[in-house]
Amino acid sequence: MTVPAVSVKRLTKRFGQTEVLHEIDFDIPQGMVSCLIGPSGSGKSTLLRCMAFLEEATEGSILVNGQPLGFAEGPDGKLARLPAARIRAVRSQIGMVFQQFNLWPHMTALGNVSEALKTVQGIPRREAEERAMQQLKKVDLENRAGYYPSQLSGGQQQRVAIARALALEPKIMLFDEPTSSLDPELTGEVLNVMRALAADGMTMVVVSHEIGFAASVGQRLAFLDQGRLILNGTPQEIFAKPRHRRLDQFLDTYLDRGAAMLV
Amino acid sequence: MNFDTGLILASLPEIMHAFSVTMLMWVAGVIGATVLGFLVAVARRYGPRLPRHLLRVFVEVIRGTPFLIQLFLLYYGGPFIGLSLDPVPAGLLGLTIYGAAYFSEIFRGGFEAVPPGHVEAAECLGLNRQQTIRRILIPEMTMLVLPASVNMAIILLKETAVLSIITVPELTLVISAIGSQQYAFVESLFLLALFYWGLVEISGKLGRAAEARLSRFRLALA
Amino acid sequence: MSWKLFELLVQASLYTVLISFASITIGLAIGTAVSGAMLSPSRLLSIPGRAFVSFFRGAPLLVQLLLIYNLLPALGLNVPSIVAAITGLSLCTAAYQAENLRGGFQSVPRGLLEAADMAGLSALQQFRRIRAPIAFRLAFPSLVNEAIMILKASSLVSVVGIVELTRMAQDLAASTYRPIELFAAAGFLYLMINWLIALGGSLFERSFRAGRP
Repeated sequence: MTVPAVSVKRLTKRFGQTEVLHEIDFDIPQGMVSCLIGPSGSGKSTLLRCMAFLEEATEGSILVNGQPLGFAEGPDGKLARLPAARIRAVRSQIGMVFQQFNLWPHMTALGNVSEALKTVQGIPRREAEERAMQQLKKVDLENRAGYYPSQLSGGQQQRVAIARALALEPKIMLFDEPTSSLDPELTGEVLNVMRALAADGMTMVVVSHEIGFAASVGQRLAFLDQGRLILNGTPQEIFAKPRHRRLDQFLDTYLDRGAAMLV
Repeated sequence: MNFDTGLILASLPEIMHAFSVTMLMWVAGVIGATVLGFLVAVARRYGPRLPRHLLRVFVEVIRGTPFLIQLFLLYYGGPFIGLSLDPVPAGLLGLTIYGAAYFSEIFRGGFEAVPPGHVEAAECLGLNRQQTIRRILIPEMTMLVLPASVNMAIILLKETAVLSIITVPELTLVISAIGSQQYAFVESLFLLALFYWGLVEISGKLGRAAEARLSRFRLALA
Repeated sequence: MSWKLFELLVQASLYTVLISFASITIGLAIGTAVSGAMLSPSRLLSIPGRAFVSFFRGAPLLVQLLLIYNLLPALGLNVPSIVAAITGLSLCTAAYQAENLRGGFQSVPRGLLEAADMAGLSALQQFRRIRAPIAFRLAFPSLVNEAIMILKASSLVSVVGIVELTRMAQDLAASTYRPIELFAAAGFLYLMINWLIALGGSLFERSFRAGRP
């Protein structure tokens, strides 16, 4: 049995007094698309950010391909923070795509995609740019390589952001509401890139409001509500009737967004 | 109107020298203030607690008191603590410290205006703190602070006139001296005002041109 | 530092406050008129308006003060120095305030005026009831800032013979040979007054935010 791509154990996250995640236990399987769905405030984005170590869990642990992320149990049984280099090494297996794209405005598309190759991996400029161009080709933007983010549409920027994350050849790709900032006409181009990536066998964890995408491309669905993991399984299992009451309530609000086919 | 052209031509070398002093004070002052201001902003963001608080007090005091008082303190008060400065060095130091306080606030705002998501993206892609500051924070900040920095530089140009009060031989001191000798005080002051005005307008236009050239780096909106 | 000296400084600082207040008020009046001119569709008004703002923000205040101080007598207006000083300060601050007000007027969201149109308000009513109040609220923080600027700038009138806080500190420093104490004390007084202005400004701002959600 292969080790899960990401393994979350008793994960709890508090911001001050507010508990945002409560003892989450679950595994992200290898090579599949896992979708985190749930109402606003359910904690799904926070959970994803914990997997990227952008938020630090208050309690619990996260293993990436079997290796502890950020904290590990020391010989005394207490949780100790791992050295920065170890954290970076584990994190390098993960790629992250943000809702706000977060492209660096002072670099071209090519510059954005090649930056980490040059600065972090020390790859010489020419080779880094060639590799970056390959990634841009994959997301169909090689003829925009010299453009600055301010000259690109939202959908184009997000595709560049995906190429930027892919350039480092991560084993797992995390997507935090990748289409929520886009005009409806532009979501299609980004979802198509994600579909192609899934078809290639990439392990993906997607937080999204696009229930249609989750239902059709997702191979595992996790439904969160108010910081708790309520349901976890294949789409067929989760959407089969009789449905969990909370899931039904949640889907009701999303009927317009393509969930109608499930009703 | 009372212009004796002969006397004016004779004073030309003096005027040229005064102009060069004004320019020197301005350019050196801006450079010094920018560098010092940047260091203060970095220290206030990343430094240990005590220097952070002290610097905050320093910045508030400089920004809350008149430039003239600060100059007097340096020039007249300096000798009492062993710092005997001539007018030009005193003026330059005063201008630098004054400008640095304002620049540090501008840069502090710039640091905070860089979207945190851009820094998170750098983190996720593996850049360490130093690489993130160098490749992402500083370039983005520069674009964000350019308009305010240009404004501040222009303010410093006008403040060089105040240096005349501690007898720095810059334009205001020299022109008003020549003017009063020639009994053409008002006319010469008027020309002086026009001259500064022209310099300020030109600098403003150059600044806006620089901003326009960098506009393609503007933050892209979704 | 003896109390006597400090007392003299405090008295002088009251004079500074008086001068600053007079200049700010007169400047606001002139500035309102000038910003109106700048926003006017008539080029006859807008061009001189912009030129006024450009000149009085472009030339150093010190030069402006010296100019006015010497210009007025030359034009036959033999006014006391204090009048010349306040005139100079007022014109300078008028230019900055005009610019702030102009910014405020132009920042009034168009939608609010369109709503007023649809509700049937005449142009004059729109101006009085919607545009002017909102413009003023938007410009208020920069006006408070400008008040602080004028307070600091008032130190320059010391060169045209007015004995305000800076001049008093200078004179006392010269006669007692204690420049550091005196200028530091003067600086402290300026800081206190600035702090009070900022406090007053934020209290006033809060009062007209009272009705907002």
